[in-house]
Formats: sequence, structure tokens, C-alpha cells
Amino acid sequence: MKWLLLSAALLAALLAGIVLGPAAVPLSDLLHSPIVIDLRLPRALLGILVGGSLGLAGASLQSLVRNPLADPFLLGLSGGAGLGAVLAIALHAGGPWAIPLAAFAGALLALGLVFRLGLVGGAELDPRILLLGGVAVGAFCGAVMTAIVSLAEASELRNAYLWLWGGLSGASWDGLRVVALCLPIPVLVLLAAARPLDLLALGEEPARHLGADLRAVKRRVYLAASFLTAVSVAVAGVIGFVGLIVPHLGRALVGGRHLRLLPASFLAGGTLLVLADTLARTVVAPRELPVGIVTALVGVPLFALLLRRWTAY
Amino acid sequence: MRRWAHRTHLAGGVIALLGGACHGAARQPAGQLTLTDDAGRPVQLAGPAQRVVSLAPSITELLFAIGAGDRVVGRTVYDQYPPAALQVPSVGDGLNPSVEAIVARHPDLVLLYRSAHTDAAAQQLEQLGVATLVVRHDALADIGRTARLLGRATGRDSGGQAVGRSLDSLLAQPLPPVRTRIAYVVWDSPPIVIGAGSFLDELARRAGAENVFHDIATPSATVSIETIVARDPDWIAVVRDSAGDAPPAWSRRPEWRAVRAVREGRFLLLPADLFGQPSARAPEAIARFIELLSHRPLAT
Repeated sequence: MKWLLLSAALLAALLAGIVLGPAAVPLSDLLHSPIVIDLRLPRALLGILVGGSLGLAGASLQSLVRNPLADPFLLGLSGGAGLGAVLAIALHAGGPWAIPLAAFAGALLALGLVFRLGLVGGAELDPRILLLGGVAVGAFCGAVMTAIVSLAEASELRNAYLWLWGGLSGASWDGLRVVALCLPIPVLVLLAAARPLDLLALGEEPARHLGADLRAVKRRVYLAASFLTAVSVAVAGVIGFVGLIVPHLGRALVGGRHLRLLPASFLAGGTLLVLADTLARTVVAPRELPVGIVTALVGVPLFALLLRRWTAY
Repeated sequence: MRRWAHRTHLAGGVIALLGGACHGAARQPAGQLTLTDDAGRPVQLAGPAQRVVSLAPSITELLFAIGAGDRVVGRTVYDQYPPAALQVPSVGDGLNPSVEAIVARHPDLVLLYRSAHTDAAAQQLEQLGVATLVVRHDALADIGRTARLLGRATGRDSGGQAVGRSLDSLLAQPLPPVRTRIAYVVWDSPPIVIGAGSFLDELARRAGAENVFHDIATPSATVSIETIVARDPDWIAVVRDSAGDAPPAWSRRPEWRAVRAVREGRFLLLPADLFGQPSARAPEAIARFIELLSHRPLAT
């Protein structure tokens, strides 16, 4: 029943994303209009993949660092992606895909750096080291990025920050194909880690006694979740709150067992992002709101309701 | 020292009030100037400013246009035009001005573009005893007014009047009929376009091109690509620093191919030194715009 509800919500969001938009497209033209076929449909599908990835990555990382505040972007990836994008703009890297590719490379660099920091002195991805390392790497990348923006004279750089908040406006079938190719492996890796993540929730010592190979599991979960986040930031910039809020919604809906929580977070994340993007495109038309603002406006009240329920016990 | 500055400032206010009541500057002490800036503040100058720091590229350009270029002792790092302005030392970023770098140029007048950031800097400079004049010229109609104000402030009245008259006669001309429809795209992801609040909207209209986003009142706004598709402009206008006639890199991205003007390579590549800011060269910009509209589409 719950799964039916989640799937129905996702389908409804997808439908809304295709039917609604700032341009008036008659229902009879829906399947022929290039606005729908080339713009709305890839954008809605990309929203599902990106929102789903962020929800899934958020749920996995929250379990990995055993902290309900963890967000996929907390571990420094947005800083790395931003730095990559700004470098691409500053160096006048040519080609239509230069900025997303550079952002992806930057995010991977930050991912590697935080991973290495997380292993420093045998820390074995200790949550505290990982979180501190992520925040530090993110802050460092952000500082370098700001330095480049304020020192370089290219006027385009003044718009470089905009790219980070780009949202789903760059969606196309080509981009969607690339993302669809990138996702299956990390998604499967995370789903396969569902059982050890359940054990990890009991604490590291008990998990080890129950036979989980924590070393390998933690590395795999960190790398897969961060990779999903890096793909998301490369195609859609930094979209806040989805990765933070959706796992909590998922837990409220299907409970904390990861084999249920992880798929539910993917479905709910996709639903939330497509709905938020549809609102962002339509409520102030012909203008458009940054989708991150809408995810916060929609997500935070939901989150507040959840907090109330928790504290009511 | 500080108290003294404070007191003359008060006296200035009183003189401004008296001046207003008595209709004219004739009763002021010889050489003294009282101006009202675009923040509505009375600004008291002992005489025409000799050392001026300009904190906006458009202000620098206007100073050179009215013949006050020799008075400019500081500019922003973003200044591009005229070439002579680049000989003047830069004091950095005009929107987040460095008060220290400005004061080091020993200005007797600092010109700022009005914004929330610059209000604080203006206040700081006033406290240090440096006179500031805050201007805001966004529309074509503001250029002449600002030119006249700058002319008075720098003792180049005739230059300010000449620029003012040139802009007045431009604005007095009837609008040409709309021959084509355009959209300015200033950023591709998220797509940001120019609205009616920008002088670029007016420049296009006076060149016989209607901005399809004229209904957006602000200078710029984020829109969806599908809105651009639906409004179907004949041309996409792009303001950019680089020369050459290659279409922008983003025009090869598949989502942008949904826009007819992008598919057909109908780009108006506007050089930033002429179109990047409202200036006394608005008539020249309009002529260039008309000329570009007669060009053939670019190969994409």
C-alpha cells in the first residue's frame, strides 16, 4: 500500500511536470509539441533521477555517519563542483559541455580528498573525521573559488555562482542518457549494502560482532553515495534540502530498515524534486524560481511536522 | 577634526535648505556647490571636484564623455571604456568598494552607483570627510540627467549639457515601427534574460526590435527555455567581451536547439564595451544594433 502510494505520487509528479509549464500547450498537442518532448519530458525525468539520487545518497550517508543532519553536500562536493565550474569559466574552456564536465571533475576531486582524509591515521571513515574533513574540503574549495571570482576580470565570472544554483534548466535527452548510464552501479552498490547498514545502525562494535565487514561496506557506501551526488551536482548544480529531508520522510513512511528505506528515499526524492521544479517553473511565470528555494519552501514545513511527531513521544 | 567635518556637514544642510528657499545658488559663498544626488541627499562641495574616484564603469565612461576624464584619479577593475580610462589606477571592485584603496587616491569626490552595498561605503567615506555623490542611471532617460549632474560636480557644465542635449534629442525622436522581435540572453544555465527595467530593452526598441520579455519589469530575470521557445524571438541578442562571430558555446547544447532563433543561428553579438552599460554612446549603440539586424544568420 505504501509502495503503491509512493509510486503513484511519483507518477503524478511526472505527469504534472509534463502537463504544466509557463508556455501554454494544448492537451491535444501534448505528444507532438517540441516544448513537451524536448524540454519538459527530459527535465522531469532528470528531476526524478537527480532527486532520487540525492534522496538515496542522503539516506545512505546519514546511516554511514550515523547523523540525522548529514546532507549529500555536507561532505564538500558542492565546493569541489563550484571550483571546477569556475575554473572552466575562467580558463575559457570551450564546448557546450565544458562546465558540467569540469564541475564533475571538481566534485570527484573533493570526493577523493575527503575519502583520503577519512582514512588518515587509520580513522577508517570515522564519522567525525569524515564530517570534519568534508566541511574543511568544502570550505577550502569555496575559498579558492571566491578568490578566483574576485581576482579574475572576466565579467562572465560574476555569473559563475549562478551556475551552482542552475537547477534542472540544462536538462536534455543527451544529458539524461549520460546520467542514466552513471546511476545503476552506485544505486546497486547502495542497495546491496542495505543489510550491513542495518547492522551499522546498532553501532560499530555490535555490527562487527554480527559479522559485517565494516571496512569494505563503509568505503563502498561513501564512494557510491558521493558519486551519485557528484553526478547530480554536475547536471543540476547544488539542490538543497532534498538529501536532508527525504530520508526522514522515508523513515516516517516505511521505517528504518534500509532495504525499504533506500528505495523509498529514491522515489520520494524524485517526487519532491519534480514537484518543486514544476512549481518553480510555473508559480511566477514567465519568470522562474531557483528550484532550491522551492525544495526548501516545500520540504521544511514537512520536516517541521516530522520533528513535531518525534518530539511528541 | 571629526567634529569639524560633522559641523560643516550640518552647515551644508542648512545652506541647501536656504538655497532651495531662495531659488538658486547665487547666495552661496563663491565657488561653493550644492548638488542633490540620486539618493536625495544634498551634497556640499567647496568647488568643482578636482580629484574624482568613480566606482562604476558607466560613471567613468560618462565622466570621460563630458570631458572630465582628466579629473578621474580612480576607477573600478571592471572598467573597459574609453581606453584612456584604463590609464587611471584601479581601486578594485565598485560594488564592494575598498574604502582604504579609495582614500589612498586622495579624492575630493567619490562617485558611486546606488545600491545596498554602496550605501554603506558612502557613509564610511562621508565619516572620513570625503564627499560622495550617489547616482543611479538605469534607463536612457537617466543618462542625460546624470551627465548634467556630473558636469556640475566637476566644473564641466558645458560637457554635461552637450551630452544631456544629445540624449534629449535621441529620446525626443518618435519610436520606429517594430520590425522584429528579440530576446537578450545574458546567461544560459539558468537562462537569464533582460526585462523592461534595463536600458538594453530601450536600445532594442529604438532600433525597431521589440524585446519579447518587455513584460518583465525588472532589469533581468530567470526564465525557462520553454518560455523563450513559446515567445519565439526572431533573434537572440548576446552581450559579450570577446570579439569574433562564433555563436555562444551554449547554443550547441541540445536543450537550446528547441529555440528557433538558436537553430537558425540568428544571434546579435553585441560588444560589451558599447552595450555593457548605459552610456552617452547610446545613439551609436542603436545604429550598431540596426546594422547587426541586417546581417545574415551565423552558421551553427
